[in-house]
This record gives sequence, C-alpha cells and structure tokens, in this order.
Amino acid sequence: MIFFELSKRSIRLNWLRSFLAVAGIVIGVVAISSMGLLGSALTLSVTDSLSKVGDSVIIIPIGGNTAQNAMEMPFISDRQLQQIVRVVAPNEAVPLYVGADKIEIGSKKDMASLYGIRNEQILLMVTIADGIAPRGTSGALIGATLADKYDIKPGSRIKVGDKTIRITGVMEKQGMGFDINPDSALIVSDRWYSTTYGQDNYDQVIVKVRDINDIDTVKKSVERTLNRRDDEVAVIDTRMILDMIVTTFGQISAFTTAIGGISLLVAGVSIFNVQMMSVTERIKEIGIIRSIGTKRFEVMRMFLYEALILGLIGSGVGGLISFVGGFVALSLVLGDASYLFYPQTLFYIPYGMGIGLLVTLVSGLYPAWKAANLNPIEALRFE
Amino acid sequence: MEEKVTRPACTEGFSPDAVIRLEEATKIYSLPFGDVLALDKVCLEVMPGEFIAIMGPSGSGKSTLLNLIGSLDVPTSGDIYIDGHNTRTLSDDALTELRRDRIGFIFQQFNLIPLLTVLENVEYPMILKGRESIKGNSRARDLLLKVGLTEKMLAHKPKELSGGQQQRVAIARALINDPAILLCDEPTGNLDQATGTLIMDMLLEVNKRGKTIIMVTHDADIAAYARRTITIVDGKAT
Repeated sequence: MIFFELSKRSIRLNWLRSFLAVAGIVIGVVAISSMGLLGSALTLSVTDSLSKVGDSVIIIPIGGNTAQNAMEMPFISDRQLQQIVRVVAPNEAVPLYVGADKIEIGSKKDMASLYGIRNEQILLMVTIADGIAPRGTSGALIGATLADKYDIKPGSRIKVGDKTIRITGVMEKQGMGFDINPDSALIVSDRWYSTTYGQDNYDQVIVKVRDINDIDTVKKSVERTLNRRDDEVAVIDTRMILDMIVTTFGQISAFTTAIGGISLLVAGVSIFNVQMMSVTERIKEIGIIRSIGTKRFEVMRMFLYEALILGLIGSGVGGLISFVGGFVALSLVLGDASYLFYPQTLFYIPYGMGIGLLVTLVSGLYPAWKAANLNPIEALRFE
Repeated sequence: MEEKVTRPACTEGFSPDAVIRLEEATKIYSLPFGDVLALDKVCLEVMPGEFIAIMGPSGSGKSTLLNLIGSLDVPTSGDIYIDGHNTRTLSDDALTELRRDRIGFIFQQFNLIPLLTVLENVEYPMILKGRESIKGNSRARDLLLKVGLTEKMLAHKPKELSGGQQQRVAIARALINDPAILLCDEPTGNLDQATGTLIMDMLLEVNKRGKTIIMVTHDADIAAYARRTITIVDGKAT
C-alpha cells in the first residue's frame, strides 16, 4: 500500500514529534483505562466482601415516641419487638444490645465493641472458629482481629468494664458488615449485657431473611406495622446499602474516568497539531502527488493513515501499560489482582483504547481534509 | 435527436482527431484587487505526435495555459478537450484520472516525492492506476535504465541524485502510464547546458515514438527543438 508506506515514512522522518504525540495518547488511554479499571475492581472487591454478610434487614429505632427524653438514645420497645417477631415470621428476628466498653487483657488496655445477643441466637449471627458459644451469662465470644492482637484463646479471661469474663470461643474473621462488625468485638449474652449496663430495651433488631427474594416483603411488612402512625423505626436492608455503595463507587469511577478523558482531549489537540504541521510541511508534496494523478480521498487516506498509526501505537502501548499497571496497583491496594480479570473490569482496557483511537482519528480528520482540498496548482508553487 | 452545439468560429477547420483542442478558452482569476484576465479566448488545436513550444514573457499566461491543458485547472469560459474529454464538465476525480492516465508532467523543479526511492517514484503513478504487480515493477526498472540511470541508483532517494539524474527519473515517471501527452514546464530550467541538451534529446526521442509534447520555455534554443512554437502575450496566443 503506497499511501500507508508514505504515512509510515513521514512518521519515521519526524520521529520525535510523532513520539511525543503518541506519548500524549498513551497517557490519555492509561488515564481512562486505569481509572475505570481500578473503579470497577474496587467495586467488585467491596461488593464481594459485603455480600458475605448475607441478606439481613436491620431495624433501628429513630426516636419519636419511644425515647423517654431527647438526651436518651432511642430503643426498641417490647411492644415493637413483639410486633417485629410476629410480622417477620418464619424469619428470625434477632434483637441486640450494641455498645462499647474498656477491656483489659493482663496489663494491656483497649476498647472493644460489645454486642449483647440471646445465647440461642448467637450462632445465627456469627461463625465460631475455635471453641464454643457462651451458654450461661458469663461467657463471651471474641472477634478474630482482637483475639489475634492479644493472642487470646478460648478459656482466657479478660476484664470488660469492671467485670471479668471468660472467653468461650474465637469467631471467624468476617470482614466489614452492615449488621454487626464482630472482628474487633466481644459478643456476650443479652442477660449479661442487660444486668451489667442496666439496659432493658434492645438497641436494634436484625432480621435474618432465609430467602433473599423475601427481603422486600419483610421490609415492607415491618414498616407497615411499626411506622403506621409515626416513623418509629428505620428499616434498612443490606442489599439497599450494597446498591448505594455500588452506585457511589460507580459515580466516583465515572468522575475519575472523565478526568482521565480530559488528558485524552489534550492528546487529541497534540495529534491535531502534529497532523497540521505534517500537512503544512508537505504542501509541495501534496501538490506533486495531486498533479500526477492522486485523488482527493487518496490524499485524505494518506493523512488519516498517519493519524491511525499514531493512534494504534498510542492506544496499544496505553492498553498494555494499563493492564500491567492495573495488575500492580490492585496487587498493592487490594492484595489481590484477580478482580482485574473480570470481564467488567477488563472491559476498560479496550474501552480506553477505543476512545484513544477515536480521538486520534477525529483529530486527524480536519488536517487530512485540508490536505485533500488544497489547490494543486498553489500547492505545487509552494516553497 | 442530436443536440445542436454552437462552436466558436475559431474552431472552423479543427480536426476531430486532435488530441488537445482549446475553444475560446478563457481564464479569469478573481483577486481581492479585481479580476485578472490570464488567458483570453485562446483557440488551439494539437494533433497527436506534435511537439509544441509555448513561449512568452513572464506573466503572459504560459503557466495558466499549461495548467489548463494539464487539467489541473478548468477554464472560466470556453472549452478544452483532452483526448475528447471536455475538462470543464468533469468532476475533480475525473480530472485527476485524466492526469493520471493520459498526461505526463515534467517540471522545472523535477518535483519527485522525497519520501520515496527513485524506483518507487516511477512506480507511484502505476500504483495509483492499480497496476501494482511484479511485472509492473520490472517496467519501472526498465524505463529507469532506459533513461540512463544505473541499477544502484534505484534504491536512492531523489535528493541523492544530481539535477540531470532527477529529471531523467521525472521523465521515466511521466512515461510510466503510457500517456498520450507530455507537458513540460521549463524542463531544462534547472540544468546546465550540457545536461539540458541531453534531456532535450531524450524528449525528442520520446516525441519521435509518438508522444505529443507541449513544452513551456523562455529559452529560444530549447524552443527550437519543437516543430511549432506558440507565443503568448497578455493572455492571447499567436
């Protein structure tokens, strides 16, 4: 192909200028691809660790008539609890106390979250890695992070507030959750919590929904029953939170990708500039080839090939750097690059490359058109 | 029903076999400071195999005439027939094809394509015509050797050759598509006298083999190679 050959030689002749234009495209493609890629991988990673929590509906009191006075934290009343248990059946409602207190392990002091749960419901909420669930009122389960930090084994005794408590088991590491975060917490029996802190009413209720598809029904029936007159409780389901997070991540990712797009725009301007220079420098040559029988669209093709070559090289190198860079970045940030290989993540590489190529061709369009439409006589006379 | 065409009076007696026919060809350039009449109702008939020199002072319209015959431009009024085609009615693509297939150009500045080798420069018009083949390749080579270049020079870039050698390459390029007409714009203008004579002898040889040659020159010695001389003064041909 003679036109392709001419384009190739023109690029090679002006290699520095071409190299710089290509570098611009590379940067733009990398910006778009890596932003999209990282956003997608992070969303996947967060979704993954959050969805392990399972599908729960969380019922949180929001004050109103349940609070005795404005200073006091609102709580779930007995009446409300009974209503919840009734409307969510056969799904199980788990009422819990939520708090925090100082703990002492030997001479070391720390703070820990506390969850007071009915003994028979503890295993609904957590999985035990070592030991057993507390049976009476004096035992506690300890979260994996806390146990690791202070080297606590089942049978150890630690001090919570003023009381000493025996650890009956260590929970499996669970990651972040919406309902409870047991990794750095202690789970005690609800009666121990109630006597120790003098609290009679639960702080929240978690409904473990057996069938994911029932989640909306459960949510609606709780709201219908409890919020009939006033908004007494907030009903949140994990799926909703998950959706919200995914949406937010998506928006952030789109925003950063758009910023990456700006750098590609700059690259487009530089391609435009390089192509205009190429046309200006080759006016005489254009006059020659037009006079000896080269058609307008052939001249146009020659200059578009030039832009295409720059775009292909830039996009290719950019795509490659995005892949390798994404792999390294994900390995460092998430400690796991496997999210890179999901189709929805990998998609951002051809996506960035495609936009890079498109920007190059669009930028090359006007210079090519200008070259094709030069008056051959004037172009020939040009020195 | 045959359409009745009114022909200008000056074309009376023009032969239908003419390879080039100008019928009151007029060219007016519109410039900011007013219209400039570059060519004024020129009537001209060129028969196949003729060798014509166009002479005249600078700015007389020689180049305009050559551009019009070369289909690089079309007349403002009047008609120009090249090989039977009325250039004023042709599209830009059709004009380009006419230049590619029927006309060979030889310029004062040689005007070779700097990015291509000598051989590629000669092959180029052939490739444009879509005759890209190994057989075609040997035709370009043969032609280059025939105009006096050596095998070693074929891979060189035009800039690496002397002026005379470059003009030989230009002649080979002009002949590669076997055109009916060769248009030469001061073909020896950038060459020393001895080289110029060699180039003119070569053009004469080409003309003897049947090609029509139209050559613009201001050098009477060079014009003497032609069998007919047309003088242009103020856009009028005599």
